[in-house]
Amino acid sequence: MRHHIIPRIVTKLLIPVILLFGLYVQFHGDFSAGGGFQAGVIFAAGFILYNIIFGLDIGKSILSVNTSKSLMALGVILYLVVGFLGILLGGNFLEYNYLSNTPINGQLLGIFLVELGVGLTVSNVMVLVFYSFNDISEEK
Amino acid sequence: MFVKNLFSAIMATTIFSLISALIFLLLDGVDVSLTEAAVGAGISTILFLSTLKHTDVMVKKSKTPSFPLIVLFLLLLGLLSFAVSDLPEFGKFNQTSNSQVSEYYINKSKTEMGVPNVVTSILAGYRGFDTLGEVVVIFIAGISVLGILRKRKSNS
Repeated sequence: MRHHIIPRIVTKLLIPVILLFGLYVQFHGDFSAGGGFQAGVIFAAGFILYNIIFGLDIGKSILSVNTSKSLMALGVILYLVVGFLGILLGGNFLEYNYLSNTPINGQLLGIFLVELGVGLTVSNVMVLVFYSFNDISEEK
Repeated sequence: MFVKNLFSAIMATTIFSLISALIFLLLDGVDVSLTEAAVGAGISTILFLSTLKHTDVMVKKSKTPSFPLIVLFLLLLGLLSFAVSDLPEFGKFNQTSNSQVSEYYINKSKTEMGVPNVVTSILAGYRGFDTLGEVVVIFIAGISVLGILRKRKSNS
């Protein structure tokens, strides 16, 4: 699609906005609408749009399949680590009260980290599914 | 269901997703609306289209459905419509599923969690274990797709 000038220009303008909105939904999810899942999906949608317009080769040089795979696992691991930290610091599994000096700060930190884990996993799963669908098409 | 061209069927699905995202938005479900717009209208359309590369665009002429199937369909439809009449009134305040837990969440979320968005505090805080399961399910789904669609080695 590299020769279509209008989609290319519009995409160039839109991509930063979409990615920024994804980050906003991720890190501002405690205070406004959204959270890890929504942010991950928006981020992945922006990245996939970039891939469609500029080609998979450039996309894969930014986020390779292997990096994506490890980030996908890292999200789940981050979630579990936060969960077990709660036990180690004297609470229950996934109890965030003990993560910081006051319970409220602990809750905020815990929710922040957990949402980050969710976002990482979701966005990378979406990108990987997109990659593997297109690898199939290239074979034929 | 009446469209014979798969391409227009995909576009119809996308438009349906966009409209339902708008409906969720009007019902104040902003989180669901964001997800529906991005997944339903964005990513799944792309995945459908890349699948379409491998198949014919037109649907093959299907057989006319047999009589027992129609009877079964009508029976199920009647059963489900009968069950709908037992559901509580839409948006009613005083009912068991809306009264105890959600009141607690709405009143205590701010002081216990310090998070103004109740949806986030429920998902990540009170129901953190459920969300963990959800993430693991997504993770497993991703791994399965990778396993099914992986590149075949040329020598095997």
